[in-house]
Amino acid sequence: MPFVLGVNFHEKKLVKKALESFYALGPQTSARIMAKYCIHPLAKLGTLPAKTVTSLTAELSTMTIENDARRLVQENIKRLRDMGTYRGRRHAMGLPVRGQRTRNQISTARKLNVLERGGGDRVRNS
Amino acid sequence: MTMASPNCWRCLARPSQRLLVPTSIAGPSTTAAFTTSAARFAGERKEAGGNPLSRHIRSGKKLILGKKRHKGDKSSGKSVGEGERKAFRKRITLSNNNALDVPGLDEITAENMTDQAAVGQVMGIPEEVIDQLRIVEAFKPTQQWGLFRRPHMLIRRETVDFVKAMTETVARKGTFRSVVTGPRGSGKSMLGLQALCAGFLNKYVVINIPEAQDIVNAHTEYATIPNTNMFSQPVYLIKLMQDMYATNKEVLSKQQVGLDHMHLPISVPRGWSLAQLASATKEPEFAWPVFQALWKELLLPGRPPIMFSLDGLSHIMRPSDYRSPSFELIHSHDLSLIRLFVDALGGKTHFANGASIVGIMTKGNSLKIKSLEKALEQAAAAQAGLKIPPRDPFYSKYDEKVFESLKGVGIFEVNGVSKAEARALMEYWAASGILRMRIDEKNVSERWTLAGNGVLGEMERASLFPLRL
Repeated sequence: MPFVLGVNFHEKKLVKKALESFYALGPQTSARIMAKYCIHPLAKLGTLPAKTVTSLTAELSTMTIENDARRLVQENIKRLRDMGTYRGRRHAMGLPVRGQRTRNQISTARKLNVLERGGGDRVRNS
Repeated sequence: MTMASPNCWRCLARPSQRLLVPTSIAGPSTTAAFTTSAARFAGERKEAGGNPLSRHIRSGKKLILGKKRHKGDKSSGKSVGEGERKAFRKRITLSNNNALDVPGLDEITAENMTDQAAVGQVMGIPEEVIDQLRIVEAFKPTQQWGLFRRPHMLIRRETVDFVKAMTETVARKGTFRSVVTGPRGSGKSMLGLQALCAGFLNKYVVINIPEAQDIVNAHTEYATIPNTNMFSQPVYLIKLMQDMYATNKEVLSKQQVGLDHMHLPISVPRGWSLAQLASATKEPEFAWPVFQALWKELLLPGRPPIMFSLDGLSHIMRPSDYRSPSFELIHSHDLSLIRLFVDALGGKTHFANGASIVGIMTKGNSLKIKSLEKALEQAAAAQAGLKIPPRDPFYSKYDEKVFESLKGVGIFEVNGVSKAEARALMEYWAASGILRMRIDEKNVSERWTLAGNGVLGEMERASLFPLRL
């Protein structure tokens, strides 16, 4: 069971999927990280040498991901709200922020536009 | 609209009439015709609770609406294990006990492969060569070996010409560099298989890359090679060395290690045989250094000739799908194994003991690569002594590496077979009990014409496709 950044993954999990399970780490970044350590796109965590897994953890720990990234987004929203802007208010109300109509189809806004954007700590199953 | 009927729509008889219909014929029947209906009826009646009136209610299928399904509805089939589907897709069947044995066919030997008298004959592959060819994956899943009792091949004119040119060049310690081209289904891979067969029979050291696509599409591990800008593919190299060990054990075990390999991470004493060197490591980290050492040993004077063959040449003539640490696409020629092949094909490597370097084009599954096309065109013109066609001055993306790698290669064109060869092959099919038709002038001619003047893949498709499993 390889540990990457303190998270326990299954050995058969794709490295790409494992990396992208971190908040604020998408396909672009994961592809670059994998190229940096010469990991091919279909590699699974079990096949990586222990050295590479530790260097992945080292690499990830220097990046703004997970709670740092969440905090960044949340702070931006909080700033808007504290200034009393329209965008801040709309965020607080869970409504569309950029002038979309609200008669229907606002489920994305309901889902995403909250003050605690990005949820709390990571909850997931490897 | 009609009213919903309480009776089955299919049974238009009245219920009272249906009672009169006998459910089975009383008494033993006089003839024993082949039928499955008795067993089917028996099962049906049991399910219907023995009531003949409700026999029209088909049991077993029930329409379930809504999202929720009961647990019992799940199909109880076993889930497919890891890798099983691919193994099934890629399986190679080389014999079929239902096919008829074809007596009186010769076996291939090193001599009759270069004999003009063998042209147009169907010959069997010797048992030990079958094993070797299977290990180097020379048999392809798309070929129809599984229909016949034993693997046999048609020796065609191209086979004899190719193998003869190859063995003669190697015998005078030259390097035979060749690219096999031809239309789709014309038997390029088959010719490659025959060349490999000749290599094994002549006791060359055979290295085969069965599918070039597999090593450039970023599906296997890669690693940087320190102090170079090249990349190695350790897992593939280890498999390749294991294949080399398994197939060339007899040749390699007679050769002793002749160099001091001080830089190797493992100690290689002088008393070792090359077979031991080939099987020395399973560590991915050591794969490339050990393979390189083995290659250097094979290049020493006094070693057996090398045969290096690769199927799917067009795949290695472009940037691979791998990315370097700086996130640029790695050119296929910067992968160390491919570099080795390409240097050999382009004539940069000097082989002291003779070598045969064969690249086989693929047409079914390949991209259009302008540089490759132009390079092959130029090589073909040079071979024929014609004026070399210039490059397109308005196309700026020509790949110099491709031209380098194909400098001075021989182009070997494979096309359709002749009618005599087609007839020999069809007679073999008929003798195996697979083709059920009269093999006469007219039928052979018809199939030959339908198959684009004897393109073998098309002939197989027309004749054997209905039987394919």
